[in-house]
Amino acid sequence: MNMELLARLAFGFYAAVILAGGALAVSSPSLIRAMVGLVTALFGVAGMYLLMDAALVALMQILIYVGAVSVLIFFAIMLAQSSPDGDEAAPASLWEYARSGLVFVVPVGVLALTAVLVPVDSLPLPKHIGPEALGQGLLGPYTLAFELISVVLLAAMAGAVLVAFERRKPR
Amino acid sequence: MSPLSWYQLVAALLLGIGLYGVVSRKTLIGMLIGVELMLNGAGMSMVASAQLTPMDGVLGQLGTLFVMGLAAAEATLVLAIVLVVARRFGNARSDTVSELKG
Repeated sequence: MNMELLARLAFGFYAAVILAGGALAVSSPSLIRAMVGLVTALFGVAGMYLLMDAALVALMQILIYVGAVSVLIFFAIMLAQSSPDGDEAAPASLWEYARSGLVFVVPVGVLALTAVLVPVDSLPLPKHIGPEALGQGLLGPYTLAFELISVVLLAAMAGAVLVAFERRKPR
Repeated sequence: MSPLSWYQLVAALLLGIGLYGVVSRKTLIGMLIGVELMLNGAGMSMVASAQLTPMDGVLGQLGTLFVMGLAAAEATLVLAIVLVVARRFGNARSDTVSELKG
């Protein structure tokens, strides 16, 4: 079996995982099941990063998204006093389905038509960029962005603590 | 179709699924899940464009890492907002927070 066929099979598998996880994440009546779908889709995206020879990004995807962001969302579900029979279980009207379907179909249709109709030249194999090059980029041309993102994270954390511990004044 | 087009197709689908989630969900947490899916589609598109064209691959990968950091910051803030809304209104549905004053 040659490598190209294996790569195609892996791409199809990851795409199927992403689409199945995404579909579960937006359609399940229970938020916990939606979160499981989200984690599945995130793992699929990590696989896509591996397939694109971006191993560090794949590792960070699992570490940050699967490890941190999804735990945060689980905390949010736990603290939001969810109802046991599913928060999204209320039936939606036909107009709501039509609205959501329209929002899905129009951007995806435009983007997919563009991707199919406009031929783009791409390298046959992804470039190999090791973690050393990424580290030199972080400490070289992109230092400002690197420092700014830590400021943004600090501000977000301080803001979250400030908002969550706010005592409401009695009216 | 080139490999890049296939990757972009999957990324566009991920963006569409996320948009569908943001519009159709009735709770703030469901909408947050949709936003995370959209951000993942964007990241995938960026890495694919950087890795499969002659452009600087470091820029694309670092950009995606920064998007992940911003997503973590955004999820932290949404957690705080959900906490406040749930404490004040009893649930975290998007239509219970429709009043501006009070």
